[in-house]
Amino acid sequence: MIELLGVTKRFGEETAVDAISLTVEKGELCALVGTSGCGKSTTLRMINRLIEHDGGEIHIDGQPIREFDGRLLRRRIGYAIQSTGLFPHWTVARNIGLVPRLLKWPKARVRARVEELMALLGLPVEQFADKYPEQLSGGQAQRVGVARALAADPDILLMDEPFGALDPITRETLQVELRELQARLHKTIVFVTHDMDEALALADRLAVMRAGRIVQQGTPLALLREPADDFVASLLGGDERGLKEAAITRVGERMLPLSPRLLPQARVHRDATLRQALSVMFREHADRLAVVDDEAMAVGELSLRRLVGAGRDE
Amino acid sequence: MSDRAPTAAVRLAAWRGPLVWLALLLALAFGMPTLEPVLRGIESDTRQVVYAQAGLPSLLANHLLVVGVASLLAVALGVGAAVLVTRPAGRDFLPLVAQFASMGQTFPPVAVLALAVPVLGFGTWPIIVALLLYGLLPIVRNTLAGLEGIDPGVQEAARGMGMGGAQRLWQVELPLAAPVILAGIRTSVTVNIATAALGATVGASNLGAPIISGIVNGNTAYVLQGAVLIGLLALTVDSAFARLTPARG
Amino acid sequence: MTRRDALPVNRVVPALSLAAAAAWLALASVSVAPNRIVPGTAYAASELLGWPLAGVACLPLLGLAALAWRPHRGRLRLALALNLLLLMALPAWVALAGALRLDPDQPQARLGLGPAVWLLLFCLVLLTIELRTRLALPAWSGWLLPVPILGAWVLAAPWLGSLALWQEYRGRSGQFAEALLDHLLLVGSAVGASLVLGAAIALAMRRDARLERLGFTLLNFLQTIPSLALFGLLLAPLAWLSARLDWLAALGVSGIGWAPAFLALLGYSLLPMVRNTFVALAEVDPGVLESARGMGMGPGQVFWQVRLPLALPVVLEGVRITTVQAIGLTAVAALIGAGGLGTFIFQGLGQAAMDLVLLGALPILAMALVADALLGALTRRLDHRTALRQGVTP
Repeated sequence: MIELLGVTKRFGEETAVDAISLTVEKGELCALVGTSGCGKSTTLRMINRLIEHDGGEIHIDGQPIREFDGRLLRRRIGYAIQSTGLFPHWTVARNIGLVPRLLKWPKARVRARVEELMALLGLPVEQFADKYPEQLSGGQAQRVGVARALAADPDILLMDEPFGALDPITRETLQVELRELQARLHKTIVFVTHDMDEALALADRLAVMRAGRIVQQGTPLALLREPADDFVASLLGGDERGLKEAAITRVGERMLPLSPRLLPQARVHRDATLRQALSVMFREHADRLAVVDDEAMAVGELSLRRLVGAGRDE
Repeated sequence: MSDRAPTAAVRLAAWRGPLVWLALLLALAFGMPTLEPVLRGIESDTRQVVYAQAGLPSLLANHLLVVGVASLLAVALGVGAAVLVTRPAGRDFLPLVAQFASMGQTFPPVAVLALAVPVLGFGTWPIIVALLLYGLLPIVRNTLAGLEGIDPGVQEAARGMGMGGAQRLWQVELPLAAPVILAGIRTSVTVNIATAALGATVGASNLGAPIISGIVNGNTAYVLQGAVLIGLLALTVDSAFARLTPARG
Repeated sequence: MTRRDALPVNRVVPALSLAAAAAWLALASVSVAPNRIVPGTAYAASELLGWPLAGVACLPLLGLAALAWRPHRGRLRLALALNLLLLMALPAWVALAGALRLDPDQPQARLGLGPAVWLLLFCLVLLTIELRTRLALPAWSGWLLPVPILGAWVLAAPWLGSLALWQEYRGRSGQFAEALLDHLLLVGSAVGASLVLGAAIALAMRRDARLERLGFTLLNFLQTIPSLALFGLLLAPLAWLSARLDWLAALGVSGIGWAPAFLALLGYSLLPMVRNTFVALAEVDPGVLESARGMGMGPGQVFWQVRLPLALPVVLEGVRITTVQAIGLTAVAALIGAGGLGTFIFQGLGQAAMDLVLLGALPILAMALVADALLGALTRRLDHRTALRQGVTP
């Protein structure tokens, strides 16, 4: 668990982070979002003491981080950044094994861990272990970066726009992979991004920052439904907010159980998002969809009224 | 990219260039007396055509000693100074050192050598000190450029992974800056070989001596001997550095 | 993002001012010799003024250190002013020291500058550079700051008549002017010729990849040969040629003199010139050229209006490197009788007359610095794209 209590950071005259408080529960992915220069990266880098905070307290599992040695603290916290920061003169395997070696793990254990991580991130060992970072594609390099951050099995992972420099398709693939990874590993993750869709897709909790302050925090749904002010509303997409909400809500949550009525032809999967369901309705000129499961068996139905949340009593 | 260790023969073949120059250099330094008839053809009027004030091998050894000592000290001090001013404790001095190192490279080496003599006096040590001072500049400058040129993301990651200052320096910064530092050392040594030869004008006994003596006495054969040997020495050292610098990209 | 408090302590200024103060107290300021041959007697400030007064004279330096301890712009400006005043006081101090120790009955007596004066000068100049950087003064201030300092030396000149350097100059002012002219001519002609020849070679190289490899290999090879050796190597063939060919001898070509010097200088100058011209022509952004053609510019228009203006700063950078290098190499050329300021250096070294060495070395140093600054400023002026790329040894 990470707690920020009234944390402040000044650079000279300028206050970069202004008395922010934030709690990230164990196993939770918290996204810090905001425009560039709002202090989100600074906040992230204060958690592993790459930047020292001037005021307030930062606790990890209840202990103030000032009580740790900075280097030892950083070895127990995973860290992945946009530019990957892979060492160009080291092979992929050596890069991934960095922190375990810093922690003086025995060689065999480091090797085993590296191979385990490469498998976990879909990087075949025989193909990638001896490659150098310049021989990797952007997506592969970022996978190695994440593997390196996870190497010593830290409880906490800090990620600073890790997918920011990737093309949209690779980015989405990696987002999906991160979500699956997180479902298995349950790390406590703080994730900085300026891409609102990315934040909504990944985060359990969102904190919107502006000019060094947290303007609003809560679950993605809570923020979408009740943005605190115009800034948050426009950051969340203005009038497209509805679609964003639809994009993070599953059909299964809104569908009605099967009724004796004739099922419509058009169908949508139970795990699809409401946004996808809407798209199917639009394409098929239908206002009712059959909801199916993995075996294409109908498990319910969804009407347009129901989709938009109006007709609970239909 | 093949990762197999190259055999000894292959490794030796890669050093063919420097080795050929070295062989020529040694052959000429030791075998100059046998070339007397050839030199006689160039300079027929004088009695002496093979420089004999001191043996050519010993002049070569002196030359190498002076350049070697000065360069080793320059590398230690230059890289050390550049590392120091890029650490948090020495950051204050960075702008001045960087500016001075780049400005100092416009000082002509002859002028530096000439100015060092009144301050330091004649002899071997003053020349070494003068070469050292001048040789520092390209090394400091290139080390700074190499260290400052490292991708900030890499630096950030190294810190973020919990590497300490010394670990970052030895495992990340110096290896990454090495090619640029090596280029600076190469410049430094090349200039030092040339400048050391000028030391003969202030009485140093090295490969510059036959040239100076030849110019003063109008003996072209002397000049030629000194010039060819210095040229070969410079080529040997430079081609060895060219081998050491990995061709990147 | 730099992590700096509002008022970081500047440790450079105190370090330099304390070094200057130590030099002032511990080392000889001047040396006095009855004539050119006898070695002089050295006097430190404390011997000239007595310890108390010499100590008091340190106070401005300590003041400098204090001003930088808690710096802000105002204090640093004050420090710069104080620093300039100290630099201007240096000639006055030399004149005063001379007046204190020189015997008016000995017109042959010579005043030499001691290590304290040189070190003070060195530290104070470094301080000026440091303060100028910290205050982020504009580039033209680099030209303005030396004016009062040089002015102070000129003003003090009437009292510096017995300065050994000045006496050496007075003894050979005609020779000096000639040597200066020779030096400039040799540098100018070598740089000029290499510019023309270098551009031609670079253009030819761009047409033929084999020529490019061959050319760079050859020029790199040439650059590696130490100057003294190259001068020596040219000596024999040129002597042979001029002995065989009368018209060459009539031109003044011989084994020694300007001919080998010019050829060697040209050889050394070609590498930086060709390299920069080649890079300048090769590195113009293809997108820019594409769009120029796309707008309907003809080949001539593209060359004169796009390629050349974009290439010019890089070519000028080559001229700068070449010029600075040639100024130094020409000094060596004095050994083979090419004249120039190097003559004084080697004469002085031969006669163990250090002030004569200075008479050659100081103008060469000044010339190199001025050429570097002038051409550097010109390059920056022409280069609108970026702050000038720092030329690091490749």
